[in-house]
Amino acid sequence: MQIREERFWVYRRKLGDFWRLYRRSTLGKLGLVIVSFFVIVALAAPWIAPFGPFSFVGDPFLRPSSTYVFGTDQVGRDIFSRVIYGTRISLLVGLLASAMTIGLGTVIGLVSGYLGGWVDNALMRITDLFIIIPALPLMLIMASILGKGIMNIIIVITVVGWTATARMVRSQTLSLKERPFTEASRAIGSTDLHTIGRHIVPNVFPLVFANGMIAIVDAILSEAGLSFLGFGDPSSPSWGMVLHFADMAGSTVNGYWWYIVPPGICIMLLVMGFAFISYSTDQILNPRLRRR
Amino acid sequence: MRDYLVKRGASALATLALAIVLNFFLFRIMPGDPTRTVVGDFRVAPEVRKVLVHQFGLDQPLWTQFLLYIQNLLVGNLGVSFQYRGTPVASIIFGRRIFNTFILMGSSIAVALVIGIIIGTIAAWKRESKFDVFTVIFSLVTYSMPVFWLGMMIILVFGYYLGSIPIAGTITVGMTYSNPLEYVADYLHHMTGPFVTLTLSFIGYYFLIMRDSILDVFTEDYMLTAKAKGLSNRKILFRHAMRNATLPMVSLVAVEVTYLFGGATMTETVFSWYGIGRLTYEAVVMADFPVLQGIFVVMAVVVIAANFLADIAYALLDPRIRY
Repeated sequence: MQIREERFWVYRRKLGDFWRLYRRSTLGKLGLVIVSFFVIVALAAPWIAPFGPFSFVGDPFLRPSSTYVFGTDQVGRDIFSRVIYGTRISLLVGLLASAMTIGLGTVIGLVSGYLGGWVDNALMRITDLFIIIPALPLMLIMASILGKGIMNIIIVITVVGWTATARMVRSQTLSLKERPFTEASRAIGSTDLHTIGRHIVPNVFPLVFANGMIAIVDAILSEAGLSFLGFGDPSSPSWGMVLHFADMAGSTVNGYWWYIVPPGICIMLLVMGFAFISYSTDQILNPRLRRR
Repeated sequence: MRDYLVKRGASALATLALAIVLNFFLFRIMPGDPTRTVVGDFRVAPEVRKVLVHQFGLDQPLWTQFLLYIQNLLVGNLGVSFQYRGTPVASIIFGRRIFNTFILMGSSIAVALVIGIIIGTIAAWKRESKFDVFTVIFSLVTYSMPVFWLGMMIILVFGYYLGSIPIAGTITVGMTYSNPLEYVADYLHHMTGPFVTLTLSFIGYYFLIMRDSILDVFTEDYMLTAKAKGLSNRKILFRHAMRNATLPMVSLVAVEVTYLFGGATMTETVFSWYGIGRLTYEAVVMADFPVLQGIFVVMAVVVIAANFLADIAYALLDPRIRY
């Protein structure tokens, strides 16, 4: 019981140290502000948005005004409300897809690094294969067979993106395997599962977390790309989907700039927010960078 | 050197083999029947369906089908397209399309690399200056932009508002040219939009990596030696720092070829550029699986070859590599 309590305070202290270091970087704070802004918008969507995301509220292609802040789309829906509700989808897909991606990558990396031998070789071959295959074409091919839908997009992003985490976790596991505490853990008779879970995973976690931020960036951009090409859920107002409909309506050649600019800027800002966070986290957690 | 080549070559071939296996089974183990558009069409009479199934070997066990696939692949037979009603896939891919894509991809990656390397070097030298901060922010911004959105904005601003670039296609439809130069000029005019989009989307990444790499090089001892020797700043920067920092970029470019295919797919779709990327998109929309399978193989070969060449180049450039 006392050991658990000690462990809790150790983790809490580490978290405090991390936060103290993090606060020093302007970029990190800026990123946190941006991401928090979008999270608040997503949560408060029903109260902030003047209309529903699917209600037909006016004539098509109205320019921005005080009623329709971003104008209307081709069937007369308010773009401002759609963009606000789209925040939810983009955030949801980004977080869920990246969580699954780093989950899968971590498991494969741990297994590969810890067991070694032919398992390691085989898994690394497969990892190399998925690194080499162009991501977007593979995503498109899988999406064409699986069909449209949010869950399919998440699956597709996961299948394409797990390799980076796997490689990193594997190299980290390989080095951790040589440490004395691993040997000690096995000497007292712990099962492999226990050694991995109790000793290796907590040491791998900081790098995985830093990697997770980049995974979020990739997930958001991938979802936007796939939705734009038409494989998202047509009934959801994710930003990529809004841009898809904007393209379908010929906004680029008819000058409907209010349809194109806001969703794109939102994607850009959200991605930049996470990129800043990832950069600052990487500076702190990746010991190799701290020397400079 | 020869051992290294042989080892790398064998590894590349093994990965290629794995890619081909994946390609074959990817379409067949996913839920849904890829052949439904042709064979499963309910308007097709049962006798015709039987003949088709037998002709394409679909009644054989999966492993026999796989061997048939490998056989065809070695001869260069990539199958026939669904949407283009029987046109061989090989002729669709290896016609104008691959040429257009390579020109677009090749030029933008070359320009993005050169600009990224040079600007990255200068920014690292002038660290923390206005130039540095500006270029870093610019790179982060273009890196965060979705490629297709950047393309749409370029069409909007330069195509719609300014009218300076054409909005679609590789050449103006129906136009006659008095000499080949006019044709090339028209082609390049159409290429401006996708070229700028693709280059901008990659420049940020190369810039940031190069800048990082040079900052690493600055901490090396030989930089101090060069300064102590009294070399001019320009010589130190471009003759010593940049050369060494460019080394990691070589292996990076090979990996980047994969992203180039993805970026090209988006850009070609937005600009209706007649290339492999747009072919992928069209084939996906029309569920033309033979074409997709063929594109997959072509892309895999190109990427694996690029990686192999990068390995060789890296070994040639860096004398420290022991092989």
